Amino acid sequence: MKFTPELDIPGGRIKPLHYDDIDGLFELYQNPEIPGQRPLEDKEQLNRMVDYSVQMAATQRGMMWAIETDGKIKGMVSAFDWQPSHLRVVMRVDGLSDLTLQERADALKAAMDFLASKYHIRNFAYQWIEGQADNIRTMLTKAGFSLAARLRGAWRTGNQSFADVEQYHWVSAEAKPVPRRLGDDDNLGQNLDAGQGDKS
Amino acid sequence: MSWNFETENYIVRLPISDQDGDALYQLLSQQAVVDHIPRMAMTVDAQALDELRRVAMRFEGREAAFWLIEDKNSGKLQARIGIQYINWMMLNAQLQLELSPEFPLDGLKEVLTEIKNYLFNELHLHRLETRIRTGISGLPEKLLALGFEKEGTLPSQFEYEGEDVSLDVYSIISE
Repeated sequence: MKFTPELDIPGGRIKPLHYDDIDGLFELYQNPEIPGQRPLEDKEQLNRMVDYSVQMAATQRGMMWAIETDGKIKGMVSAFDWQPSHLRVVMRVDGLSDLTLQERADALKAAMDFLASKYHIRNFAYQWIEGQADNIRTMLTKAGFSLAARLRGAWRTGNQSFADVEQYHWVSAEAKPVPRRLGDDDNLGQNLDAGQGDKS
Repeated sequence: MSWNFETENYIVRLPISDQDGDALYQLLSQQAVVDHIPRMAMTVDAQALDELRRVAMRFEGREAAFWLIEDKNSGKLQARIGIQYINWMMLNAQLQLELSPEFPLDGLKEVLTEIKNYLFNELHLHRLETRIRTGISGLPEKLLALGFEKEGTLPSQFEYEGEDVSLDVYSIISE
């Protein structure tokens, strides 16, 4: 079953996490950009994360994509804290130093466009943590996000050290979807393979 | 370590599931007490018993703790003050206030000081935040008087009575 699609972005794609990409993901997790996050030491843990990424998407808890440009895994774009009934989710992009700001923006947009069209998500949040690159905030503003709140000391960076979190939101101006008559949908679930001859 | 304590004028204690149903129902059946969350007021007393069982389970998991605030003189339930979504990694939690209209600001100050001390000094939490419906009157002024700072407004958090609800975020940080 497939819940996370592969989506094109300029110069590359975002794609579901796969065991074949563990070396690239390991490099990413060894260079965390979130303040206070420790580099991952055990590559084996990423096997479980690939499993989790499928389970999260299947249960509408989150979705994770690897960002691949120039044939290299340069980052990840993730949706988490998904509230399906409230039509909102929190987004996050993690990248290596060679992931450009434009690639970051393109990956974020591709993921958001998919979630908006497939799951009717209307409210996307993004948390910028004090200590992350400043230009991420600029990227968010350009992408249409607005700063909603600065949460003081909401992110723990050490035993007794904390960073502020700026929470940005992008809320759709489109009218809310009107529910159809329930049960008439021919798609049995959110499995992207359903109806294509592969229902495994 | 006891989660129950007393201030000069109030008893601050965790609820007792098979004793506090009536008092809790009287409090939470008033729409004005829960408008800021926002939530529908209780309409049948069985809801209070369900709620007591639910908070007991949530407390067992150390996910939440809800205290009943009783006036020492009258024995009347003045408020329920709870913390929930306790994040033991980030050392923060969300505060929920359900205040009887008769509960004076001085009383709230007295009780909240004790609760804050407990959360910051005994549980070592760092940040306490509360989210209230944008546009609600009365409570924002109380929060500011209690030392909370407004941090912003989270838009369109959920739908309630056909309207998108935004939530104002107020917080207080341990010193």
